This record gives sequence, structure tokens and C-alpha cells, in this order.
Amino acid sequence: MTKKTILVIDDDIDLVEIIRVTLENEGYEVIDAQNGDRGKAMARENNPDLILLDVMMGKVDEGFQVAYELRGDEKTKGIPILMLTAVVDQTGFDFDPSKDKDFLPVDEFMEKPISPRKLVDMVRKHLPTSV
Amino acid sequence: MLKPQEPIPPDSSHFVSAESLRLRLDWFNKLRWGAVLGILLAMLVSGVLLRYALPMRPLLITVGVLALLNLIYVWRNRRQAPTAIRGEMRLVKLQMVGDLVALTVLLNLTGGIENPFFYLFVIHVIIASLLFKGREIYQITWLAIALFTTEVLLEYGSIIPHHHLLSASHLAHELPFILATLASFWLVMLFSAYMVASIMKHNRAIKDELVERQAALMAQDKAKTDFFRFVAHEVKSPVNTAQSAVETALELGGAQMKPAIEDMLQRGVRRLEQATEMVKDLADLTRGGMLKPEHQTVVDVTQMVFRVMENQQDMASRRGIKLVLEGDHQPVVVTTNKSMLEKIIHNLISNAVRYNKDKGCVTITLHDERTAIRLAVSDEGIGIAPEDKERIFEEFYRSDAAQRATNLGTGLGLSIVRKFVEEMGGQIELHSVPGEGSRFTLVLPRRATASTEIEGP
Repeated sequence: MTKKTILVIDDDIDLVEIIRVTLENEGYEVIDAQNGDRGKAMARENNPDLILLDVMMGKVDEGFQVAYELRGDEKTKGIPILMLTAVVDQTGFDFDPSKDKDFLPVDEFMEKPISPRKLVDMVRKHLPTSV
Repeated sequence: MLKPQEPIPPDSSHFVSAESLRLRLDWFNKLRWGAVLGILLAMLVSGVLLRYALPMRPLLITVGVLALLNLIYVWRNRRQAPTAIRGEMRLVKLQMVGDLVALTVLLNLTGGIENPFFYLFVIHVIIASLLFKGREIYQITWLAIALFTTEVLLEYGSIIPHHHLLSASHLAHELPFILATLASFWLVMLFSAYMVASIMKHNRAIKDELVERQAALMAQDKAKTDFFRFVAHEVKSPVNTAQSAVETALELGGAQMKPAIEDMLQRGVRRLEQATEMVKDLADLTRGGMLKPEHQTVVDVTQMVFRVMENQQDMASRRGIKLVLEGDHQPVVVTTNKSMLEKIIHNLISNAVRYNKDKGCVTITLHDERTAIRLAVSDEGIGIAPEDKERIFEEFYRSDAAQRATNLGTGLGLSIVRKFVEEMGGQIELHSVPGEGSRFTLVLPRRATASTEIEGP
């Protein structure tokens, strides 16, 4: 069985490396993109098993836009999305994850700072390890 | 009353707004009805009881005209909403001119210079000086002076009839008396106008300065808030990533790690967690508009207190601290922003745990009062020195005792409590004895909107 692939879309390269080390240690393959457009392209090309998406990149709500577009695309709409948020983010979307979940194009929210243990638990929940 | 964060309306720097001027116009109309009644009463007393030979018919006509004018004024005020200050001002002036003419005619019919009520002109000048500025005041003043002086001189010259008030008096034709009276009249009129005008000028200058200073203060306050928000926003990402990096290093090191290295990394995580808390607190302190109606829900405070107590239970148990909610645990309901209230309660209870003595007790009481709720959190901890009682609510201030107790506070918890409580229209009271403990009492109106006022019993 091949390794499951996780696409990380985040413009913070240090955080990408932290996530990569943690998830590779757990037997996942990690690919990454540093902006929304690149992320969408990689999602279409590589058809990952899970996407970790940062809500705050260049533009305030870029993460949300990327999520909506991924959901609107036949090729990528089935891929679970785990969204990374930070409390101070002013997203322009006044959302309450517990309340608005049904309306949002993502499967899970995870608040920064990302703890490696919680990240692994969350990823495992959506994507049982292949090894 | 204006709340400190509300700007003083710029209109008020001109002393009046169209609305406030309209209130005055309404008040003048009432005064005018009073004048009509007063004149009628005076006619009755002087004509019937004192048997002065007053020209009843012209008097009645004049009073009738005044009453009719007033009716028109009242009708106009009812029909037309106050709009521009200028329009209302012009109307005030016009009415005042009408009143001065009416007063002159009435005086002519009731003895002219013999009638001591001619000093009613002074009242008009004082009112004009309160309402108008500069030149306008003296226009009214000189008009009043001219009207009365002309009336007296015309009577003196017998060009218009003089109606005796005192039966055998020749005062209206005694030149020295007339001149002395007019001189005193001019003096009082001009001096009143000058005095009231200069006091009002001074008052307006103070008011202008207040408006200016308040605007500057508000700008300063906003700059501070913006700066806090900016710092929180900029610091957030590096701190978050650093914390994740150190935690990941700990994870990767696993069991083979040297204890000294693990200890260092643990210390790093703890301090980064503290920095994350600070970022969150700064975000809370600088967030606005959280009490908009759409962000408010009905909250059971009893349940909320239990939830917060549960969150703090681990921390408390580790140091043998007991958490107790006294009373019958009935639901206590308020309408407010849930996360704001939870933050307040969390900060109060976590402080009570953090600064308590080991094996101490945190006692919470919750009272449902008619229009407000009262929540008290008491601890048996380090207490707060009297000189710190105000300062502990300031941003980043931590008392010496608090710093000795732990280096992990953010110095923002009570600032957030104070800000939120103020926004909700509530109050926070502090009672403390250093070394024995503190009690924070929160009083919140049932419906926590910024404009809510707690009604008295």
C-alpha cells in the first residue's frame, strides 16, 4: 500500500516544516504550497488524501476562498480539508466553527499554535495511517 | 449624560442644536402664556380692585394679539420638526422683536415710565444674551432701549397719549425724572447684555476646548487600541510557530532526550504558551462591537460558572484548592455576549485559583437580583494592597505579590474584565485584605447592552 499524501497550504515555511517533520514521522507523505493558487494547482495535479489549509495567507480570507474553490472543483471536491486558524485572525468571515460548520467548505478547524500531538490525532481521525 | 467614549456632538460647540433651541422656543411659548395670564390678572387687580382708569379695550386687544401670535408659534412648532439652527434662530429673533413691541405697547397703555414693570425689558436682554452671539445681542438690546426711550419721549412730547397709573402724577412730563430713569434703564440694559455676553463667551470657549480635548483623547485612545491590535497581530504568527517548533522538538526527542534538554524545552513551551495567552488577551482587549444584538444570547450563568470551575479543577486540585459554588444552583439568566461573560468569569476564577494559598478555598456566590445579577469570587490568597486596587485593572500591571507568586500571568486578565464589564453596563467591586484574600464582585444588568442602566429598587 502506498503512503497517504497530505498537502499543506501555508505561507509560513517554518510551520510547513514543523508539520512535515511531524507527519512524515507518522508515515504520511507531505507536499506543500506557499500560496493559494499553487495550492489549488497541486491539489488538482497530485490528488492528495487530505489538505491542511491556512486560513490567513496573503489576503485576509484567501484560505476561505481556496476552500470554496477546491469544493467547487470536480477533481478536488472530495478531499477532506482541515483548516488552520489563529485566534487573532480577522478573517472578514465572522464565523463560529461550532455553529456555522454546515455552511463552511471545510471538515475541521484547528487552532494555532499547532500542537504536534493534536495534529497527528486530527489527521489520523480523517486519514488512518497506511503503514 | 454622555459616556466618556462618546464624542460630544460638534453642534454643542455653538451652544445650541436645532433640537435644544426648539426646546427653548417651546419654553418661551409657555412663558408667553404666563405673560398673557399675568397681564389679565394685573388688569383685574388694578382695574377692578385698585380702580385705576386703565384703557381696557386697547389692553385686551394687545393681549389678544399676543395670545393669537403665541397660538401661531405653538401651532408652527407642533407642525414643523426642528431642522437647521439658523432657521430656528431667526424665529427666536422674530418672536423676541414681537415680544418687545408688545411690551412697549402694554407699557404705553399702563402708565409708561410710571409703570415699574418696564424692567421686564432687562429679562429679554438677558435671554437674548444667553442665546445669541456678539452683534446679535446688541441689536436686540439697542432695539429694546430704542423702543422704550421713544415711547417715553413721545409721551413726554404728548405725541402719543399718556395713561396715568398714579391719578395725580405728572412724572411722565417731568424731564429730570425721565432722564434719570432712562439713564438708569440704559445702564442696566447695556451692562446686563455685556455681562451675560461675556460670561457666555467664556463658557463657549471652555466648551470648545472640552470638545477639542475630548477628540484628542479619543484619537489617542484609538491609537493605543490600534497599536495593541497591530502588535497582537504581528506577534501572533512567530509565537505560534515557535511554540509548535519547540513542542515538535520535544516530541521528536522522545524518551532518549537528556533531561536537561527536555527541561529547557519545557520551559520554552511554558513561556511561549504565556505569550500566546497575551496575544489572545490583546485581541480581546482591542476587539469592538461584540455587544451588537446579533452577538447576544440568553445565558444561564450558573451553568457557565460550573463549566469554568470544571476547566479550573485540574489546576486547583494540583495545589489542593477547593472550588465551591454556594447557594441552590438555580438557573440565573442574563442576555449578553456569551464569550465575553465566559471570559470575565474565567479570568476571575482562574485568578482566584492562581493567587490562592495551597489548600485554600475559592468560594463563588451567585445572586439573582431583580434587574441585575451579582457574582462574587472570593479566594484565600495573597490579597491586594490598597495602593494596587486601582492599578491591577491597568494593562500589563502586575502587583509585586502577584509577580512573586508566578511569572506566568499576562497582566491583561483584569483589564479585560474591566473593559468587558464596562461595555456591558455593569460594575466590578474589589474587597481585599493583603495576606488574607480577595473578593471580586461582579454586578451585571440582566440585559447587557452598553446603554443599559440598572434601575434602582
